[in-house]
Amino acid sequence: MEAVIEVNELVKEYMVAKKESGLRGALKSLLFPEKTKVKGVDGISFSIAPGEIVGYIGPNGAGKSTTIKMLTGILHPTSGSIKVCGISPQADRKAVVRKLGVVFGQRTQLYWDLRLGESFELLRRIYQIDKTTYEENLAVLSDVLKLNEFIDTPVRQLSLGQRMRGDLAAAMLHSPEVLFLDEPTIGLDADAKHAIRDFIKEMNRNRGVTVILTTHDLDDVEQLCSRLVVVNHGKVVEDGPIESLIHKLTPHRLLVVELQHPCDDLSHPAAEIIKRDGLKIWYQFEKQRMTAAELISDLSQKLPIQDLSVKEPDIEDAIREVYKTT
Amino acid sequence: MQKMVSSIRHYVSVAACFARLAIQRQLEYPLFLFSWLLMIPIQYFSGIWMLKIIVDRFQPLNGWDFPELTFLYGLGLISHGIFVVFFINTWHIDNMVINGAFDRLLLRPMNVFFQLVASYVNFIGLIDCIPGIIIFIYGCQLAGFEWTAFNIVKLLLVLLGGVFIRAALFISLGTIAFWTKRNASMVSFALAMLERGTMYPLSIYPNVIQVLFTFLIPIGFISFYPAVEFLGKSSGGLQLPLSLALWTPAIGIVCFLLSQWVFRIGMKSYESAGS
Repeated sequence: MEAVIEVNELVKEYMVAKKESGLRGALKSLLFPEKTKVKGVDGISFSIAPGEIVGYIGPNGAGKSTTIKMLTGILHPTSGSIKVCGISPQADRKAVVRKLGVVFGQRTQLYWDLRLGESFELLRRIYQIDKTTYEENLAVLSDVLKLNEFIDTPVRQLSLGQRMRGDLAAAMLHSPEVLFLDEPTIGLDADAKHAIRDFIKEMNRNRGVTVILTTHDLDDVEQLCSRLVVVNHGKVVEDGPIESLIHKLTPHRLLVVELQHPCDDLSHPAAEIIKRDGLKIWYQFEKQRMTAAELISDLSQKLPIQDLSVKEPDIEDAIREVYKTT
Repeated sequence: MQKMVSSIRHYVSVAACFARLAIQRQLEYPLFLFSWLLMIPIQYFSGIWMLKIIVDRFQPLNGWDFPELTFLYGLGLISHGIFVVFFINTWHIDNMVINGAFDRLLLRPMNVFFQLVASYVNFIGLIDCIPGIIIFIYGCQLAGFEWTAFNIVKLLLVLLGGVFIRAALFISLGTIAFWTKRNASMVSFALAMLERGTMYPLSIYPNVIQVLFTFLIPIGFISFYPAVEFLGKSSGGLQLPLSLALWTPAIGIVCFLLSQWVFRIGMKSYESAGS
């Protein structure tokens, strides 16, 4: 199928002024500015198929926001090409943004002083949404996001969770094909996060909206994304389904054993003891080499086991592994 | 053709909605509104009072007596009032760049400059117009301005041109924010310069400043040159050919187009640098 987003060798350079400390430093950088070229985004390529939910993740300063800004046409790349729905946002910004919904979790596009509904009315006119489509969309959105509870409340009086629901609705009113969500769950409580994840899933399933999500909340990633693109230092370091990522990056499992009494010979040829705390011992082993059952049976033959548990690595371990190695 | 009509209808419909929302937003803070209602007339009427004291105590300013000065001041104030109603957002480009509101304009399928200006119709600015109109009409009475149809058309063109010259100045200054990220001090500097340049006859200033305010930053055309013609005065050191009043709309439009070009360059730089 034709890709919704096609990014090829994307590079974004900008100049960063080097500042030295103190007044002397400030004067020096005023008179003789030392500017260095920094590659915020350094040769990123990927392609996203219609209907995917892709988690675009990486540590702070990895180049996530810059990439999102280029994909949405706010910034122009230094080099490389972008196609969104077959169009380059640099060549025809208006045509591309018509197909996009964009939510920045840290900022709102709603009018602070006015009731939520007024912002929607403005968007209806900006995107030239005809009355029936508008009302249909609003009804669906109200239903999923429970907007009716607060559509007549001034935005400044909304809770953060309500405001975020309002922002999501605002981004979806014009039935965009692609939804960009930049940290949509930042600062929200568990309930609100849940509501927002449900909404994203619903829009993806029922309307076939492609979603690109940046987040630091790995629960978001685990519950929503079928695919992860991990960036660091402006480069894509991993790209694939979550399971295979975890599998590839963290081939280890942990077996935690608690003994009845101290023993001398704790070792096992295929497992490494990585931690000991009194009677508790942590064994790390590779899942490819041995199953947990085998290890347990080996150990139970020579050790008086009181209790045990197996720990699977999760997405967090995998991500930590990525950030560490690059 | 049909495409253009529907495009115009689209922009008008959005502009109307923007205007309605802007009014509603301003009505949310009635005390704030009231404080402007009190402050702005005080500011302008004290301005005209100062002029009267200067002229009464000392002498006419370079041949301009109090009625003529009132006419000049009123003319400048009206175009200022219209400007702050429609273009006040050009003062806030730096804030929009910093807080990300400017990015939002780029995410919507409409002209960015249109959104910038139309998104805030400052109807509080009408309060600026009222003292301006009162002072101007008073000046017309005193100076014996003739309300002929030709003069009225010329006057409207002058006001339009004056608004465009002011807008062009602030658009160009606002554009600097795309590079510097901060320009609030430039805005207040330009405001002070405009007040001095439109309140007093240009001919009281040294030649360098007259040349500057005529050719480089043509704020002399906002009120001084039109007043010279309407009142049959001499423009002082600089003699310009043709009807002085009709220069104003022409220069206004040229400046405005130039400022649009500057704005586009600024936006290009923003797109390549970010914030």
